[in-house]
Amino acid sequence: MTDAIQDEIIREFDGLEWLDRYDLLITSAKELEPMDEDSRTDENTISGCQSRVWIQSYKRDGKLNFNLDSDAMITKGIMALLLRVVNNRHPQEIANIDLYFIERIGLKSNLSPARSNGLESIIKRIKEIAKNEFDQSTVQ
Amino acid sequence: MTGFAKDFPILDKEVYGKQLVYLDNAATTQKPNSVIDTISDFYKTDYSNIHRGVHYLSERSSEKYEEARKKVSDFIGARNPGEVTFTAGTTDAINQVARSLEPSLKGNEVLVTGVEHHSNIVPWQMAGAKLRAIQMDEDCNLLLDSIDITKETKLIAISHVSNVLGSVNDIKKITEIAKDHDVPVLVDAAQSIQHLPLDVKNIGCDFLAASGHKMYADTGVGMLYTSDRFSDLMPAKGGGGMVDKVSLEKTTYQEPPLRYEAGTPHIAGAISMGAAIDYMQKRGLDNIEKHESDVYSYARDRLLEMDNVTVYGNTDRMCGSISFNLDQVHHYDAGLIMDKMGVAVRTGHHCAQPLMRSFAIEGTVRASFALYNTKEDVDRLIEGIEKVEMMYT
Repeated sequence: MTDAIQDEIIREFDGLEWLDRYDLLITSAKELEPMDEDSRTDENTISGCQSRVWIQSYKRDGKLNFNLDSDAMITKGIMALLLRVVNNRHPQEIANIDLYFIERIGLKSNLSPARSNGLESIIKRIKEIAKNEFDQSTVQ
Repeated sequence: MTGFAKDFPILDKEVYGKQLVYLDNAATTQKPNSVIDTISDFYKTDYSNIHRGVHYLSERSSEKYEEARKKVSDFIGARNPGEVTFTAGTTDAINQVARSLEPSLKGNEVLVTGVEHHSNIVPWQMAGAKLRAIQMDEDCNLLLDSIDITKETKLIAISHVSNVLGSVNDIKKITEIAKDHDVPVLVDAAQSIQHLPLDVKNIGCDFLAASGHKMYADTGVGMLYTSDRFSDLMPAKGGGGMVDKVSLEKTTYQEPPLRYEAGTPHIAGAISMGAAIDYMQKRGLDNIEKHESDVYSYARDRLLEMDNVTVYGNTDRMCGSISFNLDQVHHYDAGLIMDKMGVAVRTGHHCAQPLMRSFAIEGTVRASFALYNTKEDVDRLIEGIEKVEMMYT
């Protein structure tokens, strides 16, 4: 199944050298609204070995949205891409989404469990939140 | 490839279209042809289990294994090869000492420093000891005059060289102080055995631990020197090969070193340590030390003259590692970008979280050197840093 936003990201990164990819990630990171200091709590922290990542979620009109932030710019740039893909979707859709763009833009190595930016834990957390939201909505 | 680097086939490699500059040697060193060939030849011509077989191959393997022990023993200046046990590495060696000394450590105190690797912290805590750090100044020089040994201090466990800063601790002075109080000293030599001459008799330590893979030998092997005066320690591990007589009622143990080597050891690994020592000796320990010291000083000078770079630690003597951060740049970002420039560095806390906490930082970028690194490698490191800075402005 293809996804228009993910395909758009893949096009943006297509043919770029590594350093240009990082440049693009850093640019995306700079454009991402930083999370308030007050929201950077332990509870909102996703534990990763090297860069710290914070997550918040909220629902609007039945759709789920996230805020993500990181103290490392390249990680934050990846967060910005993730947000473009997952935000403003129904929880069930997010819980089941196949994030194929990560591999296609060459960031698959960031996905391995041992990899220090913990991208895998971030995705896991996003999907857990989405699943919980969906489960709750079906109970109601 | 020039100098020592031509002996290391992997260093010929290109990564991301650029000649590899390998500066992660404190994590592990690359292997010279002679070590690779020794391991390969051993499996092709001599391999069998050791010490137990009566047949030809077993005798050949046992001979080679014991020759390697003798080489390690001579290399660190032990009184006899019986003081050298092969372990799985430094971490394993320290854990074995912690296990053996557990009865005396439990509820008492081990004196360490604030720069220790987690492997010289956690095993003591697991043995039930409390840890106290010897004070140091803001440059990470140990304040040896302030050492306070109490009746609860049962061991001093100290790194010879910091894996983060490259600071060299005066271990001889520490053992002298310890002797006055009859407290044993363990030296974590994981980051010194490949850089500095070691002589355990001269140092006067009771235990010394090191890893093979950080001194150009195989992974999964290391050594523990245990002074003769601890020849009757309770072994940390029990099993085959380390016993004298076994009955269901009672077991008696072999004399060291076999007493401390339960089960089949990493035979090829041990032999590779012998080959690595042969290699370093052939290249000349004095030559290596001189070359490494030139490259290290050059790297430090280049980093110190950069405006937006903070270098951590500044002790009287340094070698191996240099840790730094770029102002306003996360160490992880810096490491990723430098990787794509072909420069392999390590980023993070380097398994030394207490030290990171004392600097109030999350981590550093660490460049760590081995005998094959050159001033040109340092230039590439600096270019990498400049590129990172450029991408951030």
